[in-house]
Amino acid sequence: MNRKENMTFGILGAGLMLMALLIPTASDAKTVPSGPMPEATEAYIEQGRQIYIRRCSFCHGLLGDGGGPAADYLDPRPRDFTLGTYKFRTTASGELPTDNDLFRTVSRGLPSTAMQAFDNDVIKNGLSEEERWQVISYIKTFAIEFDDPDLDPLKTGKTVSLPASLPPFSAELVAKGKEVFEKAKCWSCHGKNGRGDGNKEFRKDDWGFPIRIRNVTHPWKIKGGSEVEEIFMRFTTGINGTPMPSFVKSLPEEDRWALANYIKSLQHDLTKHQVLKVLSVEGDVPADPADAAWANAQTMDIRLAGQVIAPPRWQNPSIEMATVQGIANDKDIAFKLTWDDPFKDIKHDAAKEFNAAEIQKVGLYSSYVAANDMIPRALDTFRDSIALQFPVKTPSGTQKPHFFRGESSNQVNLWVWNADLAEGGGEGAVEANARGWRQQPKPQKEAQRQLVSKANWDQGQWTLVIKRPLLTSDKNDVQFEAGKFIPVSLNAWDGSNGEHGLIMSLSTWNYVLIEAAMPISVYIFTALGFLITGGLLFWMARKSEAAPESESI
Amino acid sequence: MMSRLNKFWTTVLTIIVIYLLIKFGIPAVARQVTGLPFPLPVPGALIFIYMVLVLVAMFLLVTFDDGPLNEFLRPIKRFLRGDFTKPVRTIGIVLISLAVGWYVYDNVVPKITAPLALRIQHPSSNFPKKMEDAQNPMTNPTEAQVATFIEQAKAGEVQFIEQVMPDIEAWMDETGEEDPLLAINTPAIKKFRAAVEAGNVDNETARAALLEVRLYMGRALYAMNCRACHGDSVAGDGPMADGFKLRPINFTDNGTIETIVEGYTFWRVENGGPGLPLEATPWDSAMPEWKVSLSEEERWLIIMAEYDLAEKTPRMPEKH
Repeated sequence: MNRKENMTFGILGAGLMLMALLIPTASDAKTVPSGPMPEATEAYIEQGRQIYIRRCSFCHGLLGDGGGPAADYLDPRPRDFTLGTYKFRTTASGELPTDNDLFRTVSRGLPSTAMQAFDNDVIKNGLSEEERWQVISYIKTFAIEFDDPDLDPLKTGKTVSLPASLPPFSAELVAKGKEVFEKAKCWSCHGKNGRGDGNKEFRKDDWGFPIRIRNVTHPWKIKGGSEVEEIFMRFTTGINGTPMPSFVKSLPEEDRWALANYIKSLQHDLTKHQVLKVLSVEGDVPADPADAAWANAQTMDIRLAGQVIAPPRWQNPSIEMATVQGIANDKDIAFKLTWDDPFKDIKHDAAKEFNAAEIQKVGLYSSYVAANDMIPRALDTFRDSIALQFPVKTPSGTQKPHFFRGESSNQVNLWVWNADLAEGGGEGAVEANARGWRQQPKPQKEAQRQLVSKANWDQGQWTLVIKRPLLTSDKNDVQFEAGKFIPVSLNAWDGSNGEHGLIMSLSTWNYVLIEAAMPISVYIFTALGFLITGGLLFWMARKSEAAPESESI
Repeated sequence: MMSRLNKFWTTVLTIIVIYLLIKFGIPAVARQVTGLPFPLPVPGALIFIYMVLVLVAMFLLVTFDDGPLNEFLRPIKRFLRGDFTKPVRTIGIVLISLAVGWYVYDNVVPKITAPLALRIQHPSSNFPKKMEDAQNPMTNPTEAQVATFIEQAKAGEVQFIEQVMPDIEAWMDETGEEDPLLAINTPAIKKFRAAVEAGNVDNETARAALLEVRLYMGRALYAMNCRACHGDSVAGDGPMADGFKLRPINFTDNGTIETIVEGYTFWRVENGGPGLPLEATPWDSAMPEWKVSLSEEERWLIIMAEYDLAEKTPRMPEKH
């Protein structure tokens, strides 16, 4: 290389190295403070109180009793600080948390609850480390227990730390953890597959509020953190105020570590795509959710949120994810839906339905439904249901009906499946149409219904197959044409969670696609590209051979 | 010793390196600069323009005079003539043709990706002009409202919205205090109460205290009605946010509520997703029509709190 090129390469090399250095690293929220909590002087606590009124009181209440204006609408309810009972600690079961435990919770929040991260490295308008300490110093004044040095876990030595040597995640460790899961009877509450379905009834926490047994397969719901170390810590400390005990006495450390790895292995990885590719088959489409054919069909996970768009609003949905699959032949299409639900609810008492008119006035208290007293959240009250929603008119561009039941000018077709109808031996699925959320979906006439469904509930999970001819003669039906992106969204109801009517969870639009046969033009253009290039190059090669040597160099 | 690299190869290498820098280098640097948790990819159209410029530059460099041009063309000609042996030439030609064929195939084959809708975030096509100059009556109390507030404070009967009363009353019961203002004893309110007690309250002090009271009520309404999606953090990351493909807006982001007039914010809160024009994909927006559930005063209180929580100020209406 000559000097100039050396330099060029030098610069390029340096550029590449610079790039490698700049490859971003995940920015971790700082959950460990840089030092111990400063002394809580009166002025310091007063600073904390000012922050508390602005940022905390609306949920936790001016008295710290978890009774703020927003509290009734939340589940889990905001922590009542007056008892000094905290769920997420690094101290023995029943003990107070350490200052650093409180710092961690305030900094990182509790995922999927109303308690969000307050670290100003995570959110722009968050609290600095000092502000977080100030507000913690104020929060501690609500419970007299924090004044008693005999209860200070740092002084009594009742803190818990991670084991010194932690074998890494491995198949053997997971297998051992599974044995521990059986032996320690974790399934008696959390269910055989960890879906929170082990108990036949609701559990209550120490404050008398119904609590949900955690479905450990949904990592975004694990409030204490979904990493192995964090899961291990819960087994070790227990969760104060709930039936979740500490297993320090019953399980040795290595068993708890193996169990944490097993629980980690159960966590579901969400699919990322927004288009469901329907599997094309030659014979009949499967009518049963247990049919082996489903193993070959693509899955698409759809996230759902509480229906918070119109009153009655609901921010405590039970069903937050459903998995969809599709199989079609030249006549029919079948969808399979899979979603977790700890209780099989097959009864429906229409008399107990919530009268939405009560909260539909402008400027009234709140248009949300209070979590624990406005609707019955009990077994044998409301049915489990789910609905697939499609636009009646498949959009040619991107314009669709609104994902929340369409609008008056653009109606949607709903395939509503109700557990009570199916259990009664009849057809569980009903076709309906909606033009906006203001009116209830209108069921189609008996003669126009063509849906055939079959469902099964097992180990805290519903599986459901609904099928229909691809094309119908009904102008209120969605038509499935190959090669078209057909928008699809979901509505879902967990009856024992009090859900019915607009008190439900829902998703935004995704797509279903039945692949069209490959157009012949694709092959023609590809072949042409190959042949023309090859031909040209060979022609040039021939010409170069014929050209005299001197001319070319 | 390595022999000097031919112009042809340095040209090809330079083009590849520049492409890699644009494709991966810029997003990586952008991520460091912005501090966002994801890289900012360079748009395809921009990459195309950059690469065309690079190609033109390289073309000029190579064809500047006959020397470099001949040097550049030499390996190509030698390849075509079969100087690297005929089998190498045949394989080379087949590979190049296959690559072109693949490129064509990749471009014409139907792709399974969701149809993309371009979305205009702040559409103005149906924004009523008269809203442009709307002032938030909550941040701009009238003289009469301030006077009433002073009278109420003197009597220890400052009015709060009914939503926050149970919590304030519980606080008064527990602490034995009789003035509800004490429940939210911020510095501005302390100063105001002292002035009221001393009997020399001025309008500025009273106004500051009244704004504190209104902010408190606005924050409570925000926590009750908006927090589920937009979050405590007002960063669009509430517990419901993950369920919506079109995520709730992050108010702390510089391109959101700071760039619009307050009247626009009010109009958006009032009409929600269904009030959007087609260019803003109303069918994807989960924003409720809040006029259905909240009074005008409640909506203004929330907007006041929203700007305060996000630490932003609205754009000022243009002078006419």
